[in-house]
Amino acid sequence: MFDVIILFITDLLAFFGIYLMLNTALNIERGYAGIPNFGLLFSYAGGAYITGHLTAKIAILLTGAKVEADPITQPVSALMVLNPILASNPLISITLLIIILLIGASFGALLGLIQLGPAIRLREDYLAITLLALGEVMNYIAIAYKPFINGSLGVQVPDVFSWIGSRYRFYLATGIILLIAFILYIYAEFLGRTPLGRAMKAIRENEIAAVSLGKSLTRYRAIAMIIGSAFTGVAGSLWTLYSGAITPTLQRFDWTFLPWLMIFLGGIGNNLGVALGTFIFVLINRLIIFNKHLLAGVLPFDIVWFDYISLGLIMGLILIYRPQGILPEKPYIPKNIRRKIVVSRSQE
Amino acid sequence: MLVIEKLNSGYGKLHVLYDVSLTAKRKEITAVLGPNGAGKTTLLNSIFGLADIYSGSIELDDERLNKMPPHMISRRGVSYVFQLMNIFPNLTVEENLRLVARFSGMNHKDIENSLKEIYDLFPILKERRRQVAGTLSGGERQMLAISIGLIKRPRLLLLDEPTAGLAVRYVDMLIEKILEMKKTMDMIILLVEQNVHKALKIADKVYVLVSGRIIFEGTPSELVNKEDIAKMYLGVG
Amino acid sequence: MIETLISGITYSSLLSLMALGITLLYRTTKVPNFAHASFVVFGIYTSYTLALLGYNPYLGTLLGFIVSGIIALILFYALLEPLRRRKSSIFILMMATLTYDILMFGIINIYADYLQTTFKIPARNVYLAPQDFTLIGLKGVTIVSTSLLIVLLMLLYILLNRTIIGAALRAVMENPSLAQANGINVSLMLALSWFLAGGLAGVAGALLPMYMMTDPSTGMLLIAPMFCASILGGLEQIYGAPLGGFILGLATTVLVSWLSGVIGYWIMTYSLMVPYITLIVTLIFIPRGVVSIILKR
Repeated sequence: MFDVIILFITDLLAFFGIYLMLNTALNIERGYAGIPNFGLLFSYAGGAYITGHLTAKIAILLTGAKVEADPITQPVSALMVLNPILASNPLISITLLIIILLIGASFGALLGLIQLGPAIRLREDYLAITLLALGEVMNYIAIAYKPFINGSLGVQVPDVFSWIGSRYRFYLATGIILLIAFILYIYAEFLGRTPLGRAMKAIRENEIAAVSLGKSLTRYRAIAMIIGSAFTGVAGSLWTLYSGAITPTLQRFDWTFLPWLMIFLGGIGNNLGVALGTFIFVLINRLIIFNKHLLAGVLPFDIVWFDYISLGLIMGLILIYRPQGILPEKPYIPKNIRRKIVVSRSQE
Repeated sequence: MLVIEKLNSGYGKLHVLYDVSLTAKRKEITAVLGPNGAGKTTLLNSIFGLADIYSGSIELDDERLNKMPPHMISRRGVSYVFQLMNIFPNLTVEENLRLVARFSGMNHKDIENSLKEIYDLFPILKERRRQVAGTLSGGERQMLAISIGLIKRPRLLLLDEPTAGLAVRYVDMLIEKILEMKKTMDMIILLVEQNVHKALKIADKVYVLVSGRIIFEGTPSELVNKEDIAKMYLGVG
Repeated sequence: MIETLISGITYSSLLSLMALGITLLYRTTKVPNFAHASFVVFGIYTSYTLALLGYNPYLGTLLGFIVSGIIALILFYALLEPLRRRKSSIFILMMATLTYDILMFGIINIYADYLQTTFKIPARNVYLAPQDFTLIGLKGVTIVSTSLLIVLLMLLYILLNRTIIGAALRAVMENPSLAQANGINVSLMLALSWFLAGGLAGVAGALLPMYMMTDPSTGMLLIAPMFCASILGGLEQIYGAPLGGFILGLATTVLVSWLSGVIGYWIMTYSLMVPYITLIVTLIFIPRGVVSIILKR
């Protein structure tokens, strides 16, 4: 029983961490810069697949192991050589992890740049169409281009967490996910208070006014998109490393719609709200999935579809009744300005 | 006759008008004057079902208009000429007029007659009738907007600052046309204007609206005699 | 080569029907409808169900029009109209259509599960081409889809330009508040446009299994081509949609097939990328669509 609870909590926290990264990224893009990124899947899947493609190759370089098999098409035989070396060598494992995360971040940022090309100059609706359409592309590429992650079969990746012992492997992975999610969260909160973050929000509020004050629309949107996509790429990387394998089946529902649902639930623009919304959602979602077997016999269809319908309905209700979320955004006023406001008010 | 009694209205939680009472008669021009943000447009919006009415009543010839949706109010013979975005820019001048006429339930003969009346009033529109409305000049556009309001021969015409932003020659001309409309057509004209001098010249009755309340009611000459109001709020006298 | 061209024309016709609805909705409601693919998928399953019950699947074009039209009406009245009354932003409306797409995806999958257990058939691979007829060497789907496109376009033209309801619809597209101020029931007109757009998507969906292998997630495959065709034609002009549909449809079929002869067969794998590339190129160079170039002259 105790083991089950620990397992549940570990799984819950891992999902929370991954989604917190995604949702914080989305909050920078939408909540700060007003970009309607309906194509979050693009950079997320990008990060996940590039990790599937490169982890074994980099592991071979780092360890200098002699691997006859091609790590993409024959991952099992490649991993038979690589995994024991990684398990006995924490230093190499951690180096590998860091390299992979940096790759995930830069690849994500690169994909953000690709999305930006057409995106930054467009009106909101056209922007949303483009991003949504692009979101579907990554899976086609991964399926069509076999050498990437072995087509629709997918690929297994070396285990960078197993050096701590197989018993604690998931705890370590979850811990690292949470740590990185926390760092990104703090960065996002910090960003919101910098002049850069406030300039982004000014553009979101009123494009014309902000531009007339000399704020460059394209520049700030570009920055938000690149930062957000880098976060998303890291989340994708960690997802692949955590799962140990990846197939080109990442869905728009899980990795675009649900993040939107969570940030709407928590409150767009407010990082704490987003974190709260993420936690509430993941908790309920994991509880349902954990107890899925109870419903499996009752429903005459696959319970997965019930998710789509119930979550769709919840989102509809949020949109109509509380689009500002649980914790609505509050304007942030820097300290020095806050003092001036107080002074000018007392003089009136 | 348009009778508004103790009207309280606004938008959601934003309360704009307080206990506004107003009467406007047939074959008269009733002008509502007041500074920016006084609630003049909100008054028109309230009559037309575009604002939220909290209490009070709006009656046109003894029929209550409160709670009716705008398209029903329009079918009761009310025309509202917006200040901006008041034409269909991609249709020709005549298409604009015919489209609106068809929705007022007029028969073919009435439409042709009404169209002729409008072309008599604004000959320039007849010249431009095949031109796409979006390409008209500011003054011509405003004439078309008023014509769209007139085509269905309304009982009540609501005009929201028809001369705002127009060249001087058009302002004088439009004001004259409104006076001509009053004489030739049998309807109530409720005019909201910022151009106080011009409005006072043609109005039969004047209301001054300040911060959502009516502070003056009377004839133009009475208003000019009330120097304090005229000076403070309207910049005349 | 001729065969590819005919197949391309079929695909273009279907794409045009879908894009037509997107453009119509964009003109009336000012929102890109991300649930459009769901309307198509409901059409697919309408004609499939008819085929399972032993009817001619072509009846699905008529029934599919009604089914998908109603699915679209539900979206309008349950989500979009309450949001419009609250003066929600375009972004919220877009989010609402995306949400409805997710909801409908769940429902169609449950329906597929239901068909699977009831009829003991693989309801996730819907392919009706083997049941299609041939006339003077042409496949039924080619004849039906092209002629239906032409007929529906003519009907739409007559509706918009020769009837009072059509005039009202155009007025709503042009200036909704002025239309409302002149006695037009804007909400009803918007509902009509949703019914029509859903219906057109339903017709396309009903024909789709005659053309290609389909399943509940076919919608995801269609999103890019549909929007691409619609934007390529020009969102500002309804009749741009078939133009965009044909340019894109022929590009994805005929052009790619020709390229595969020149460059190599591997390029076929990437034919799915054509709509994305076209979409982005269009947005950068002619964001107002091909129609804007034609009209400028």
